[in-house]
Amino acid sequence: MNKKEFLRRLSELIKDVPEEEKKDILFDYEEHFRIGLEKGRKEEEIAASLGDPKVIAKQSRASCILKEAEKTTSVNNIMRAIFAAVGLGFFNLVIVLGPAIGLIGILVALFASAFAITVSGVAVLFGTLIGPVFAWNVYIPFAAVVSIPLGIGLTTLGLLALIGTFYLAKFFYKLCISYLKINLQIITNRRNRE
Amino acid sequence: MNIQFKKGVLELCVLSMLERQVCYGYELVNKISKSISISEGTIYPLLRRLKSEELVTTYLQESQEGPPRKYYKLTELGRKKEEELKKEWFTFVKDVNNFLKGSEKNE
Repeated sequence: MNKKEFLRRLSELIKDVPEEEKKDILFDYEEHFRIGLEKGRKEEEIAASLGDPKVIAKQSRASCILKEAEKTTSVNNIMRAIFAAVGLGFFNLVIVLGPAIGLIGILVALFASAFAITVSGVAVLFGTLIGPVFAWNVYIPFAAVVSIPLGIGLTTLGLLALIGTFYLAKFFYKLCISYLKINLQIITNRRNRE
Repeated sequence: MNIQFKKGVLELCVLSMLERQVCYGYELVNKISKSISISEGTIYPLLRRLKSEELVTTYLQESQEGPPRKYYKLTELGRKKEEELKKEWFTFVKDVNNFLKGSEKNE
């Protein structure tokens, strides 16, 4: 493999890393080749001693994508970070994807419950207040005295639960990032020792 | 020397090298790979990690032979980390040595 081939392969393998970071990574290897050539080494020889671009790319990608997820909070970024971590090996498939699915499951369940409570509150309230006006056939097994406060209470509770779940989701996001960071350290050290 | 030993202490070697002198990437890789045979490419991701952990900083400097080169310099935090890792390493080596000598006597 010559210089051009090495850089092309590496660049292809890290194409989803942010442009700035990618340039920075490639710059280091370009410089390495340049100085090596100045010292009278051959391109093929330098490429061989650098090792497999795949190994280099895996190590660079995972940490870059995680850094990005930390900077800008988005579902897309965290998903990419999770999958980059999962891509580092079978071991990670278990210890990253498992907890990730668990957390997402909890969040979906909480959002659904909070949403359902809110809807039921609104339904009770409207059923009681507007139902009789339009002569809807709404059956509410309470007197208006009970059902109006009940409706307001349920709606408030549901909205509070929605807000609570939102904060919990943010907390999970941070938790996820710290976990992936620790994981990345362990994985890269493990890989270096292999 | 066993390959697993070599790669495990790569971080310590890089920090220790930079503790002695400021280096550009090629120089660092070259010197380390002279004493420890590793795939040289893996030192660069390590350097990027050390930079993001603020253990080293980089700057560009002109060279006589051509375009500017990227130099790596240890930060105060890096200096502390180097000392800490070195201490751990020597304690570890001493303990293993003692253990190995002890088991020879007992044979």
